[in-house]
Amino acid sequence: MNLELQVNDSTNAAARFVGWTPASCRVRVTNPSGTTGSSINLKVTSRSNPGGGELQFRAGSAGNFASSITLSVPTNGATILFFAAGKFGKPSSTLGDVAIEILDGSTVVNSVPVMVRIRKNANNLSPQERDRFVGAFAKLNDQGQGRFKDFRDMHVRISLSQAHGAPGFLPWHRAYLLDLERDLQAIDPSVALPYWRFDEPAPNIFTEDFLGEADANGTVHFSENNPLQYWRADGLLGVDRQPLFALSSAPELLSEAKTLALGNAYKGFRTMEIDPHGYAHTSFDGPISNPATAPRDPLFFLLHCNVDRLWAKWQRKFSRFDAANAASFDTIPSSNPGHKLPDTMWPWNGVTGNTRPPTAPGGPMSGSPTASAPGPQPRVVDMLDYQGTLNEVSALGFDYDDAPSSIGAL
Amino acid sequence: MARKTQQALKSKSKKGLAAVAARQALSIAMDKKWSIAKRIAALAQATPLLARSEKHLESLLGVLRDEREPVAVRLAALQTIQATSFDISSFAGVRGDYLLTLRKIAQDENQDIRQRALGALAREKDGFAQKKLLEGLQDPQKALVSPEKALQLLSYDPHAGAYDVARSIVDKPPNPTAKREALRLLAADPSAAPIFEKTLLDKNELRENRQISAAALHGIAPDKFQDLSRQIVLDSKDFDDIKASTLTALSQFGDPTKLTADSSLQDTADQLKNKGSSKLRSSAVQFLSKYGR
Repeated sequence: MNLELQVNDSTNAAARFVGWTPASCRVRVTNPSGTTGSSINLKVTSRSNPGGGELQFRAGSAGNFASSITLSVPTNGATILFFAAGKFGKPSSTLGDVAIEILDGSTVVNSVPVMVRIRKNANNLSPQERDRFVGAFAKLNDQGQGRFKDFRDMHVRISLSQAHGAPGFLPWHRAYLLDLERDLQAIDPSVALPYWRFDEPAPNIFTEDFLGEADANGTVHFSENNPLQYWRADGLLGVDRQPLFALSSAPELLSEAKTLALGNAYKGFRTMEIDPHGYAHTSFDGPISNPATAPRDPLFFLLHCNVDRLWAKWQRKFSRFDAANAASFDTIPSSNPGHKLPDTMWPWNGVTGNTRPPTAPGGPMSGSPTASAPGPQPRVVDMLDYQGTLNEVSALGFDYDDAPSSIGAL
Repeated sequence: MARKTQQALKSKSKKGLAAVAARQALSIAMDKKWSIAKRIAALAQATPLLARSEKHLESLLGVLRDEREPVAVRLAALQTIQATSFDISSFAGVRGDYLLTLRKIAQDENQDIRQRALGALAREKDGFAQKKLLEGLQDPQKALVSPEKALQLLSYDPHAGAYDVARSIVDKPPNPTAKREALRLLAADPSAAPIFEKTLLDKNELRENRQISAAALHGIAPDKFQDLSRQIVLDSKDFDDIKASTLTALSQFGDPTKLTADSSLQDTADQLKNKGSSKLRSSAVQFLSKYGR
């Protein structure tokens, strides 16, 4: 008997990544030789390396997850749907540190390596996770002329009105990070964007092996085998970033608990654009403290990953995934294009002129082998249901280590 | 219905209390009678109010300009103003005054204030700041910041007209850090490639200057850089740190076809993975994992 196992509805190895959000999987018999009857009972389970990711499964679209399930699979080649999800709190650290196994009795008849790929606290990454991230990011930058140049050009003075000072602040940056993360994953699929939890000390981030250590002049130094020593943005070599706080502590800004208590409506919550977001930027002297120059510094993306994580946690706390709920977003009729729920977002929509910037760098949103949403021209509304809580096809393909799925996971 | 009304009233009253607290905080932050620590803490609490009011932001710009105010309060005011600037809609009305204020305090008596103001202006590619920084490099009597800081800030704009002065500082540096910053500034100038070739191959140069030269060449003359990197890795007398730097670049950015076919380089990396500094060994292992036989 031969089986085909699809992860994220695909046999492509590039699709073998899951998060806390349930991933649609399928199994079918491709060669029934040796079987009797019209169907066979198969057990779906997982095998983890020590310290590796852990998985759980669900047979249908509803119900609870379990560490293993039994499926009755027809021998005529028809596919049977099931769902796999990472077990919350048990992410992978390397590709293939956990595998989905299909057992016929006690015999393993199929096994595919997968990864529970999760956005983690950058301060807690293993050296291998850190090095893979740094390597992919340096490659994306590639002398300042790689794909990173598009990301730099998306967030400049003339385009700030698309991303800041209005309700679209959080959705726009969620799309921006997702686009960048997907491009990092095209270089190294085991990479997920880590976050800088700026309300806690994070000494492991500001080292020569990671995002660099500043000297008295504010010039950031990298170790000799850190490829970020070749970082270039806007034609400028290296990174300048002088911390205005002791690196053994956190900057003075609104704590996570206080940020999540900014109100149960988006209108109140989005005031976090200034505190803690603005204060996190200005806790350094250097390009990162200016809205127009901040993305020159790779730290920008870890800072914003935490901003996005705070939004994700706030959404979960108050169930704010549904755009039909007025409290999930701040609908201002007079908002400029790009800040209302049905609007497509620049630059992915390619629209230029009038209220939009004169050019649209970077083209459409990058696709992903693990998620079909949000499509090439994301709308503001597409950023809300990021885990597919309301509609599984809305899932954007990322999760945070401390923000579980809202869908029936253990 | 009654419950909804009650909730709405509760929420309104909570918002009202927050607004009162923010107003009180702002009044403490602006009042010299209070201690410095209390005023700085109050500034953060007043942020929601500042974000909604140009009048209050203008008052805070006044604190930033006022040389009689404690420096710590002025620096905290600057940070608050800059944090508020991320809400570009609210900030648009005061952005002009903010830039004028920065130009004024760029010549402040206090060095920290001057440096922060010049940095903020340099990131805006502000002509006034660039002129002052260049003047200070040409005539140390007029310098508002150290030469290394001036060079760093001038590097933010490749059109700041600083290449000539940077070249002269590379030739005759006032201190080692200034030379390093001059090299970084020149990394945006393709015609500076010969300076970087010379520096990269000079074993008497500081490691960081050689590393900057490697990174500069990688950007402005990538083929030349790949040749020189290979030369350094193969040179048994060169230092481990610069070998690790160049081997890292070859691993990450080199031409895969050339590297896969380069048996001399692979043999050398094979030897280096077992000797030398831990960073060099790690770079060699990484190289071999990509291009090893």
